[in-house]
Amino acid sequence: MSETRIECPRTLDHETGRTLLHAVRQQKVRKGQTLILDLAPTENMDTLGGAWLVEIAGHLRKRHAKLRLEGQHEGVAEFIGIIQPSLEPFPGAKTYQAGLLERIGGTAIAQAGELGEFLSLCVDAIYWTLMAPFEGRGFRWGNFVDEVHEMGVRAIRIVCLMNFLLGLIIAMLSSAQIASFGLSIYVADLLMIGFARELAAIMTATVVSARTGAAIAAEIATMKVQEEIDALRGMGLNVAQFLVAPKMLALIVVLPCLTMLGLFSGLAGGTLWGVTVLGFQPAVWINETTNAAQMNDLMQGMLKTLFFAVAIVLIGCHNGFRVSGGSRGVGLMTTRAVVMDIFMLICVDIVFAAIFYYVLQ
Amino acid sequence: MSDTIIEVKNLVTHYGDTQVLDDVSLRVARGEIFLIIGGSGCGKTTLLKHMCGLLTATSGQIRYQGKDLATLDEEQLAQMQRTIGIAFQSSGLFNSMTVGDNVALPLREYGNVDESLIDAIVRMKLSLVGLSAAQHLMPSELSGGMRKRAGLARAIALDPPLVYFDEPSAGLDPIMACGLDELILDLKKLLGITFVIVTHELDSIRKVADRILMLDLGRVIFCGTINEAEHSTIDRVRQFFDRRADEHITQRSV
Repeated sequence: MSETRIECPRTLDHETGRTLLHAVRQQKVRKGQTLILDLAPTENMDTLGGAWLVEIAGHLRKRHAKLRLEGQHEGVAEFIGIIQPSLEPFPGAKTYQAGLLERIGGTAIAQAGELGEFLSLCVDAIYWTLMAPFEGRGFRWGNFVDEVHEMGVRAIRIVCLMNFLLGLIIAMLSSAQIASFGLSIYVADLLMIGFARELAAIMTATVVSARTGAAIAAEIATMKVQEEIDALRGMGLNVAQFLVAPKMLALIVVLPCLTMLGLFSGLAGGTLWGVTVLGFQPAVWINETTNAAQMNDLMQGMLKTLFFAVAIVLIGCHNGFRVSGGSRGVGLMTTRAVVMDIFMLICVDIVFAAIFYYVLQ
Repeated sequence: MSDTIIEVKNLVTHYGDTQVLDDVSLRVARGEIFLIIGGSGCGKTTLLKHMCGLLTATSGQIRYQGKDLATLDEEQLAQMQRTIGIAFQSSGLFNSMTVGDNVALPLREYGNVDESLIDAIVRMKLSLVGLSAAQHLMPSELSGGMRKRAGLARAIALDPPLVYFDEPSAGLDPIMACGLDELILDLKKLLGITFVIVTHELDSIRKVADRILMLDLGRVIFCGTINEAEHSTIDRVRQFFDRRADEHITQRSV
């Protein structure tokens, strides 16, 4: 077995280390050969010099050659002693590639697992929100009031503003079309029916999901990361009772109220357009609006807000509980919660639209 | 004194209305291991954060390598902070990056070294702290002690002349804590790094300290060597080194 010897410089630093690596490369050592680095002349070295030694060790490893360090003085020997582990082979990044079937199976198992967790959360949350208080098992009314304030009272301004602007937009767009038939007054009917059945509910729920859904996911995810959830469980407290139930009942109460405010705001936006631009008397416009109001339409809009509320809280909590990986995970789960919320709102909405179209028309 | 690396003079600081540090003065010599000790909530971490320029004092002066931190503009302060390695109590690792990328970050930003060498430097720094196998792991996959060591590897990535280390041994098993102490001594000896360490682990204090500063309720009550501390007549210092409890464990107001 052949050996090659290279003498190291007096000072091993960034520049001389690079030259040393160059010299090692020029030796073109072959498999099984040993390269001896003679450190006898080296009086001092810094960490960058040490890093070049790590690089040289890696170069030789790739060529299946060996590295031996000889002749080092006391100070240099001590330094090499503490960097010795980095001269040895390192475990690389995980590069295992699963096959197609394995990936499909893995995804299916993961999805089934997540569905199971979600259903379990649903059962727990519904029990602790709707049934347990009647069985005298306790409900955190203090938290409920706080949540009503946070989710409801503090959201009034943004909900009203968004619906008002939406009413204005709908009035603007529809009046441009209807004016050509000379039936501009029916914009009032359109706004009433549209907002009562659909627009107030969906716009309010979207604002609330972006605001409250994200907050729920971020709060619970942060609690999970900081082991507060484990602390709750460790104290024998039920997480659904402690965290989920007050939020769920609060949103079930608050969302229909916000939707009702949203409805009035939307109509106000439309009225502003009707009176100022289309030139109707306020009394005429309001009279047309109230004539178009039907309890049936209003109930369609209000009923689904209850389901929206349940969906927003459950999805926020579910994603919060599933967090892993610290602050990055909190961000990812919050985003996921809002995206899932909005998708679920549309799903619930389409189910209701189909029921009202086919069954209750 | 030319061998002084950092000096604090009459530092007073408040959080809101609460005074946290009261007339704190200290001087750290180049190449020494300087320990800041004291009970929980006595202002140790706050003092350390002032010494990195992360907080602004109510009054007093901090001079790093002869320059008053209060007179530096933002860019000069950032440049100064690049020459100080900081290992935080809860590691401060970025969760979105692997451990290796965390250590490589300061090298890529300010290291002025070949990209090809960065991987070797990262490997070396991780080996120094006994984490050779963790280069490709995410911080969330590490235990508390491993995160702390990875934080130290990142702190020494740029070979800073001064390293601040907040609670190095807290949460580590005795074997790992002892290993970390030895690592600190090695880094001081071989690379000439000055350490300012906040701790209240008695074993570590006895093993690594060149000099000790003890804070109590935001005031300096002792500054000297470990020998002087062990033989101090100051009751609070004696109580600390003898591990003697207060009669009642009470919250002492600052």
